[in-house]
Amino acid sequence: MSATANFFVHPSVGFFALALILPFIGGKGWKWLLIVPSLIAIWSVMTVAPGNYGELNYLGQVLQFGRVDKLSLIFAQVFAVMSLIGMVYAMHVDDKLQHIMACVYVGGAFGCTFAADFLTLFIFWEFMSIGSTFLVWLARNPESTKAGFRYFMYHTIGGLFLLIGLLLRYKAVGNFAFDAVSPAHMMTYDWMILLGFCVNAAVVPLHAWLPDAYPQGTVTGSVFMCAFTTKTAVYVLLRGFHGVEALAIAGTIMCVYGVLYACIENNARRILSYHIVSQVGYMVAGIGIGTAMTMNGAVAHAYAHILYKGLLFMGTGCILYAAGTTKLDKLGGLVHRMPWVMVFYMVAALSISGMPLFNGFISKTMTITGAAEAHRTWLAIGMEIAAVGTFLSVGIKLPYFAFWAKPANDKMELKPIPVNMYVGMAMGAALCIAQGLYPDMLYRYLPFEMEHVYHPWTAWHVLQSLLLLGFSGLAFYLTRDIITPHAKTNLDFDFFYRLIGRGIMALVCKPLAWIDDRWTEAYRAAGLAGLISLARGTVWFDTKGIDTVVDGSAYTVQNVGVLGAKVQTGRLQDYLGLAATLALCVFAAVWYFA
Amino acid sequence: MSLFGMLLNELRARRGVFGVLFFLGLAGLVGANVFLRPHEVEFVYDAYAGFWAVFGLVVGLALVIVMKKIVQPMISRGDDYYERNS
Repeated sequence: MSATANFFVHPSVGFFALALILPFIGGKGWKWLLIVPSLIAIWSVMTVAPGNYGELNYLGQVLQFGRVDKLSLIFAQVFAVMSLIGMVYAMHVDDKLQHIMACVYVGGAFGCTFAADFLTLFIFWEFMSIGSTFLVWLARNPESTKAGFRYFMYHTIGGLFLLIGLLLRYKAVGNFAFDAVSPAHMMTYDWMILLGFCVNAAVVPLHAWLPDAYPQGTVTGSVFMCAFTTKTAVYVLLRGFHGVEALAIAGTIMCVYGVLYACIENNARRILSYHIVSQVGYMVAGIGIGTAMTMNGAVAHAYAHILYKGLLFMGTGCILYAAGTTKLDKLGGLVHRMPWVMVFYMVAALSISGMPLFNGFISKTMTITGAAEAHRTWLAIGMEIAAVGTFLSVGIKLPYFAFWAKPANDKMELKPIPVNMYVGMAMGAALCIAQGLYPDMLYRYLPFEMEHVYHPWTAWHVLQSLLLLGFSGLAFYLTRDIITPHAKTNLDFDFFYRLIGRGIMALVCKPLAWIDDRWTEAYRAAGLAGLISLARGTVWFDTKGIDTVVDGSAYTVQNVGVLGAKVQTGRLQDYLGLAATLALCVFAAVWYFA
Repeated sequence: MSLFGMLLNELRARRGVFGVLFFLGLAGLVGANVFLRPHEVEFVYDAYAGFWAVFGLVVGLALVIVMKKIVQPMISRGDDYYERNS
């Protein structure tokens, strides 16, 4: 398809519209609606011509929703494809709220991708945060509830950095325009914005939310989450902060750090989460190095990564759905019972490892070669070390201990896997292989002009990859008894996050508790006694004052009434006697006082 | 069990054959590396045959041994560590 349309149907519209109407749709066919926004999004991004579409005046600001250029289009394209795969994979889910939140989340990602100003970006950024938090919570178990709160807190803090940065920037420059900054002239507000982006990109040491939350998400929710949050952050880093040296170093640290933890983790989805940190590290490093080849490598790797990481989470999601766990020490010997899950998983595992024939080979090598050509040798070596660790942990360790190790396992009870989950995996696997075989499928959309065209399919590149991966496999063979996973919690930076959290709680709670204690004592010593005296005084006043006046008046009226009744006898002689007595009394009084 | 599952089980039983093929493949790759070198050296030592083989093996061994034998004993806690301490 070529770009011909001079109007733009924003892909977010379909997802938000579906999220709004889904609660009111009944019947059996509603699940087919799930794929409609994705199809509209694919059509939209494949046909729209570059340009600026859609502005809205809001609170005196112009929100620009539709910056369509080569960079936003390639990210939107893979988001649209992945949303279709994810929706197909999730079609068996009856819980509408999961689909609604997936729509909010994906719609937010598209909104960020096409935003041309920081205010619009921030709004959609927060939509993503809310949607993804629910995708964790909706697993509906105590662990996911806690992990969801932690996840939301991290992202709220990240969002606050972004908000502070963009407000300070507005004060300094007078607009919210979201354009590239000059790495040599970054101001404090630029660093604040960068910090906000780095939280979502899971840059070490701000990464620990990711392996904490993603393993706790719903089976289908984690498939969406692994594709959009970190890659949206990669997009905004590419858009705004390419060439920032700190990112080159941080990215390479991420590459290695992620695989180190993946080597020792036991939970399959946690292993994959650490590999998101590692793979996003390639992208962040490519952005930081800032040459056309490394940035194209970052884009290509983001594209490939979304497809194979989604497929990896779909594969482990099938294991979780069927077996009820993804802990490797509890799995094993399942290859004959889940053969197609193993096949699809292996396509993704070989893709992430950069094996020739699969899409990781055409994307990862571009970033590493670009780093080497830019004479960033140590960074390139760091990425090669990460490539070894990736193949060890995701390419061999995870499938070996889930499917192959231990004798054939016929005892574990497995739920049948719905057909749509297989279809979703098949779609992802087909794209991983197709891109690996025909790199131009991906390369033609790369946004940055390079001095020379990169050819991954050279004899040397293939041999180098096979040597690296083959001998990494030998290392696994030699250490297979050592690398056996154990049911352990490995402390990461979230240990420090929790310490900080407890410290803040202590800072807030302890002074409050002290004040409360002192107040209680003061109340007991002075306040309570005072209140008792006041109560006694009130009782006395009530008895002596209120009761005397009110009751006395009542008794007087009563007695006068009784006396009045007594004197009214109805006999004339009594009334004459009483009148004579009264007259005598009046006469005596007058006589006495006159 | 599906036919495909049975086939994979059969392959499991013949893992010795795959082991031999794997080692033959590795030897073949190193042999090919003697004749096939990079046109432009990206790293100082990758001009030498077998560099990437040694790199993959040594880095792989180091990653596993260092992380499992040295780092994990220091940073690992019980599986329910955070639940117990929350």
